[in-house]
Amino acid sequence: MVYAVEMRGITKRFPAVLANDHIDIAIKAGTVHAIIGENGAGKSTLMNILYGLHKPDEGEILINGQKQAFGSATDAIDCGIGMVHQHFMLVPRLTVADNVVLGKEPRKGLLYDRKAAIAKVAEVCSRHNIQVDPAKKVADISLGMQQRVEIVKTLYRGAEIIILDEPTAVLTPQEIDDLGEILRQLKEGGKTIIIITHKLEEVMDFSDDISVLRGGKHIATLRKAETDIPELTRLMVGRDVQLGGRKESAPGKEEALRLTDIVYAAAGRQILKSISLVLHKGEVLGLAGIDGSGQTQLAEIVAGVLTPSGGSVVYHSRDITGKTVAQRKKEGIGFIAQDRQKHGLVMDFSIAENLVLGFQRRPEYCQYKIAVNSKAVISDAQKRIREYDIRTPGEQVRVSMLSGGNQQKVVVAREMGSRPQLIVADQPTRGVDVGAIEAIHNILINHRNKGGSVLLVSLELDELMMLSDRIAVFFDGRLMGILDSATATREQIGMMMVGSSLEGKEGPAS
Amino acid sequence: MKINALKLRLKDALVPLILILIAFLFSAIWISFMGKSPLEAYRALFAGAFGSTSGVVNTVKKSVPIAFASFAVIVSTKANVFNIGAEGQLAMGAFGATMAGIFLKGLPAAVHIPAAILAAALGGMAFALVPALLRVKRGINLLVVLLLMNNIARFLLQFFVLDAFASDNALVPSTDRIMESARLPYLIGPPYRLTIAVLIVLAVAIVLELFFRRSTAGYEMRAVGLSPEAARYAGIDINKYMLLGLLLSGALAGVGGGLEILGNHHRLYIDFSPGYGYDGIPIALLSGGSPLISILGSLLFGALRTGSLNMQAKVGISDEIISVIQGSLILCIAANYFVKYLLNRRRSGKAGKEAGQ
Ligand SMILES: Nc1ncnc2c1ncn2[C@@H]1O[C@H](COP(=O)(O)OP(=O)(O)O)[C@@H](O)[C@H]1O
Ligand SMILES: [Mg+2]
Repeated sequence: MVYAVEMRGITKRFPAVLANDHIDIAIKAGTVHAIIGENGAGKSTLMNILYGLHKPDEGEILINGQKQAFGSATDAIDCGIGMVHQHFMLVPRLTVADNVVLGKEPRKGLLYDRKAAIAKVAEVCSRHNIQVDPAKKVADISLGMQQRVEIVKTLYRGAEIIILDEPTAVLTPQEIDDLGEILRQLKEGGKTIIIITHKLEEVMDFSDDISVLRGGKHIATLRKAETDIPELTRLMVGRDVQLGGRKESAPGKEEALRLTDIVYAAAGRQILKSISLVLHKGEVLGLAGIDGSGQTQLAEIVAGVLTPSGGSVVYHSRDITGKTVAQRKKEGIGFIAQDRQKHGLVMDFSIAENLVLGFQRRPEYCQYKIAVNSKAVISDAQKRIREYDIRTPGEQVRVSMLSGGNQQKVVVAREMGSRPQLIVADQPTRGVDVGAIEAIHNILINHRNKGGSVLLVSLELDELMMLSDRIAVFFDGRLMGILDSATATREQIGMMMVGSSLEGKEGPAS
Repeated sequence: MKINALKLRLKDALVPLILILIAFLFSAIWISFMGKSPLEAYRALFAGAFGSTSGVVNTVKKSVPIAFASFAVIVSTKANVFNIGAEGQLAMGAFGATMAGIFLKGLPAAVHIPAAILAAALGGMAFALVPALLRVKRGINLLVVLLLMNNIARFLLQFFVLDAFASDNALVPSTDRIMESARLPYLIGPPYRLTIAVLIVLAVAIVLELFFRRSTAGYEMRAVGLSPEAARYAGIDINKYMLLGLLLSGALAGVGGGLEILGNHHRLYIDFSPGYGYDGIPIALLSGGSPLISILGSLLFGALRTGSLNMQAKVGISDEIISVIQGSLILCIAANYFVKYLLNRRRSGKAGKEAGQ
């Protein structure tokens, strides 16, 4: 059979790493083929080679059985290949149609023919059953829509083979479903789709065949029907992975945190409406809800970076409502902020510097009370890098050089290293690879097993159900109810997340 | 990895040098437009700045206030504010030093000099206080405010020199002379007159380097400068550091102006500073935030200011060419940031390759 794409013996060396190591991969025409692997496995590099952005050091590429050598992306496009990158390159101030035809505009005489552009784009969209409004400005449409525009752009240029690099990373669950639908349509229309991802649920939804890369090497190619998530995880990580950790004992009865009537308003909008809840020692309390239901604000109020408009925060029987972040840190509250690059880390600081951020005034990191004890900071950093398996050439490397998963490990290592009693974790596994997810889950559960408390915000129901003892469900700033995670079902939680309160058992808590 | 790090550092050092080179080339174009030979002009410039002992001494002398201005800008940027008001603070520092020099009487030099330097620091700091409070309490962007403050400083200076403290017996408008006991001692006496101000520059640079590299407060200030949000989340009081940063910055600029009076002029003139405060800005940007490295930049600018006199005499080019070189340098620095920005964008989204033509 003739494959749409065959890559043989592809090798690509970057100054510090062997990104692709003799990779052989074949993709059948008219299928959806997933390429999976942890961060840094070499997926993007391989696809950039296919798209003509990188030249391979060795190896050859065949498109529909014909050997090709791409000097640039233009060559690849001429050969019917299109690529949607993880970061979109659209011009916000132009319309959808303008963006799609950019570089290959229909003309009337010497002038750009805007009408023809809109008509052509509308035609491409309707042929593939993709809904976008060609006349809208890109600045005014959602990320999910922008991604569609990128897809339409490839189609407009006549792509038969479409590569999507981590297309779901920026999407909401609903948008992910829509994308799945679009991919299905494209496949029916005879296109070949290559999708890069490290989320395995999506792989099982979208794809026909799955290739696994690890450390720049091709590990296996499997048919979806003949594999499952545990096997894929094992192949990706190279060993067995157990997500969710293992809870050892029942949560304690002692209160670690009590929130009473917490209210938060910003810009005239009620974001939290009288929230009261209790977290015990040795317990993980999950905060569920669709994005923006107020969970993040609640976490930030507990951490002290946000001041509530009303209500009280009591930690270990002491009222800490008015305490600063620094005081709360001293009292043993650790915080894994949602946006690690903006809030959790100083991106231009080294790993070692970031590992003491917020703890720089602790006596062990100080000398004569005013100077940084560099020796202690460095040896401590080296210890944490080993202990938390942060993959880096050294502690002096800037954190901006690390992958998302390793950046997150720096945050976690820092917050855990201060031996906190309460961990506030706001989406701690967002955008990190499965190996790091496993590590972070284990750390949180171990903390719980040792009698610590965890306040966990997550948008992933599976994660909440695996880790939490109880789950508090939020909708529009209200607490809809608190469920025992051992008996709660996904459906129950899902219903409460969209506003229907829990009947019978506990009733809305506010 | 070691080798990579080395390469990186080499590159970091190379960029400023290339920018300076480009600025000189660019200015050469202007010089040839004026019908002069750039080669001759630069030869005269170099000869003026380094060709004689007095040239070298003058270069070093002029670099002193410039270095303090660049320290001021560096310190402020570390605390996430951009102090373009150094010129005004420098003037107020000079005023403070002059007042202490004239009116504190009967002190031994060992007390009088430090007191006058302290007065200079306070003058600069006081002049930075209002902008600092506006920034911290109101979150106002200071660019315009600081430029306005520079103008106010000019008017104040005119008022002090021409009116309030005008000397009765001076050829050019100025204040009275400061007391002998407030004058900085010479390292090299007349006719060169190089004072201990150069030692103070070195000492302050070292103290600042230590502060940023070794002290906990310096670490916190750097965190505020690099990422105020992350610093806030870490529990660091960012307002405190912005306030502190701008006040310290004003104090440093003030000391620069004060040393100029205490060491060189011994009285306050309206035009005692030809724009030293503005020289500090490109130097701070080129030196990558290192006070010690900024001393090199200050020497370069000191040389330009010294050599330009010779250039004017020998080749007949107005010393305004210094402003041209400085302007081109700022343009180059801005262009460098812009190119870096473009490269970053390209790296994060190569899809533009096909789209942008
Ligand atoms: N342009 C580049 N220069 C140097 N190293 C690179 C470059 N692009 C990728 N790498 C390195 O190659 C490896 C594979 O990267 P990548 O293909 O982006 O992985 P993935 O997409 O699977 O996360 C990583 O170690 C990465 O740091
Ligand atoms: Mg990638």
